[in-house]
Amino acid sequence: MKLSTLLRHGAIWLAVFVALFPIAWMASMAFKPPLEWTAAAGNITWLPKAPTLANFEYIFFGTSDAYPSSTVMEKTALRPIFASLLVSTIATMIATVVGSLAAYGYSRHGYGKSLPLALVQLRMFPPLAVIIPIMIMWAYLALIDTWWGLSLIYGIVTLPFAFWLMLTFLEEVPIELEEAALIEGASPSRIFYRITLPLVKPALATTALFVFILNWSDYILALMLTRSKWITIPVFMNDLNSAQTGQLYGAKAALGLIAIVPPLILGVLIQKHLVRGLTFGALKQ
Amino acid sequence: MSTLELRNVTKSFGDVVAVDNVDLRVEDNEFYCIFGPPSCGKSTILRLLLGLASPESGQILIDGKNVTYLAPGERDLAMVFQNLALFPHLTARENLAFPLRERNVSQETIDATIQSVSEKLRITPLLEKLPAKLSGGERQRVAIGRALMRKPRAYLMDEPIAALDARLREEMRVELKRLQREVGHTLIYVTHDQEEAMSIADRMAIMQDGKIVQVGSPYEIYNEPISKFVAQVVGSPPMNFIDGTIRSGTFQATDFSLEVASHANLIDGDVTLGVRPEDVALCTPDSDKGAECSIFEVEPLGAYSIVDVIVGEKILKSQMQGQPRFKKGQRVMLSVNAEHCHLFDPRSGASLLRRKRS
Repeated sequence: MKLSTLLRHGAIWLAVFVALFPIAWMASMAFKPPLEWTAAAGNITWLPKAPTLANFEYIFFGTSDAYPSSTVMEKTALRPIFASLLVSTIATMIATVVGSLAAYGYSRHGYGKSLPLALVQLRMFPPLAVIIPIMIMWAYLALIDTWWGLSLIYGIVTLPFAFWLMLTFLEEVPIELEEAALIEGASPSRIFYRITLPLVKPALATTALFVFILNWSDYILALMLTRSKWITIPVFMNDLNSAQTGQLYGAKAALGLIAIVPPLILGVLIQKHLVRGLTFGALKQ
Repeated sequence: MSTLELRNVTKSFGDVVAVDNVDLRVEDNEFYCIFGPPSCGKSTILRLLLGLASPESGQILIDGKNVTYLAPGERDLAMVFQNLALFPHLTARENLAFPLRERNVSQETIDATIQSVSEKLRITPLLEKLPAKLSGGERQRVAIGRALMRKPRAYLMDEPIAALDARLREEMRVELKRLQREVGHTLIYVTHDQEEAMSIADRMAIMQDGKIVQVGSPYEIYNEPISKFVAQVVGSPPMNFIDGTIRSGTFQATDFSLEVASHANLIDGDVTLGVRPEDVALCTPDSDKGAECSIFEVEPLGAYSIVDVIVGEKILKSQMQGQPRFKKGQRVMLSVNAEHCHLFDPRSGASLLRRKRS
């Protein structure tokens, strides 16, 4: 009993450590000056010895006194951060709204048992398999390197996931609630907006967060479908190196730290719903 | 002023015929119970009446008007669902207000109606609570209250009190009956609890496998069951059945015989004798009439007792007034009130008595 508790706690702490260590390492790296980035001469720096904001300065202004002069860049992180925020938000709205409505329609009036599975299978194969055709299509449609083009493809790619997630939640809503409203003469749209939607609000929040994270962390689509104006954070991060110095680890870590913030804020905002959403089935009366 | 009617209605789900060519007529201001074992099609009848399901064939009429293809919202019926279907995100007050809001009733009327309904159901202090914060009985009242908010043509209830504990159920039963008298409306009530149906209904319909097998007042159903099935499901403890044969006016089983000559015109042959526990009398062995048997088990219930006795290889139930002091294994004589016996065809289960009378 005692030993098993000990082992269990040990395992949990190990898992927490494994999960959090890279983030802690990144946070530490973000405040290190260039000399401390790598284990030069066998000296590993765990915590920054001379903490500095130079990395942040560099990604936001393209230059920093702490950096070699050869690294000066024209682009800054501002534009990619804005692009990521805009594109991820719009794509999340597309996927969540369309996915929820489709899932509602399917769960209440749908035919074909295998449709949901078929839709999710669209998510199963790697995006790489279709990226070239999509690139060509997007080029023909003049959608390359536009915010709407990227939003659209993100919305499409995450739609099956949103549909599937919302479907499982919607199917938990007792049909009698809608029937009770139907008997009282409520129209289908009123039933959806007054009864069903408020009940799946936690589910909607959960879905939106998951979809947002998927969009936010995409690399390959943004890499192929943007050139310069609308590159996103992950693509910009790849640009953070120079021929002389190699990878600019500190700058990457600083950008990574910033990239954590929006999903984190979103997660905290909807945390109350999130917990309920994830355990929705268990709480049904 | 509302009658509800099904004419030759059939509804099936896949291969399962849930409602099989049912004819049913509920009179105005009637408390009508549909009673039957689980999944015999009784809930489907309510869904058909409400318009939540549409029949394959047949007609549904409300006040003589064909509503078979009318949308649920246009039928002007109110329903209490088995799981109550209270809107979990709305307070009790908003749940009550919902039916009127959907019909664009003014706020003053809504407030006034909520007040009178909640007083009638004694739920005024609960109005601002969410359903999750209410107890089972309170939710029950709110759900019934929501149905009472309007003056629909009829109320439909699908086992609305099945989820409550026994004591609360008895309370609600009486209250429902009182409410129905007060409101003076047609009410169709579905239940699988025979006691509930008996105690509450003006008239009841017994369902078996999608068919209505008998309709009548609780007394009619109890006293003149049309088949062995009806006799079996109505009455608690259940009726005793003994297989045997009729030979010139006498019922003969392995360890038991009974003079049934009073039921005239009986044809000799195999029958099943049905006798209710209260018609089985037990007395001390010195009496010479009846069959000898031994006490198996006594369930004292206060005002009366249920005594299980062994006759040959069969266990019969007897319901006796008061508190008889029998011991297990004691020898007693069993006699049956031949006046109140039932005889059924052992193959079809149809009552042989009713057929003779009609």
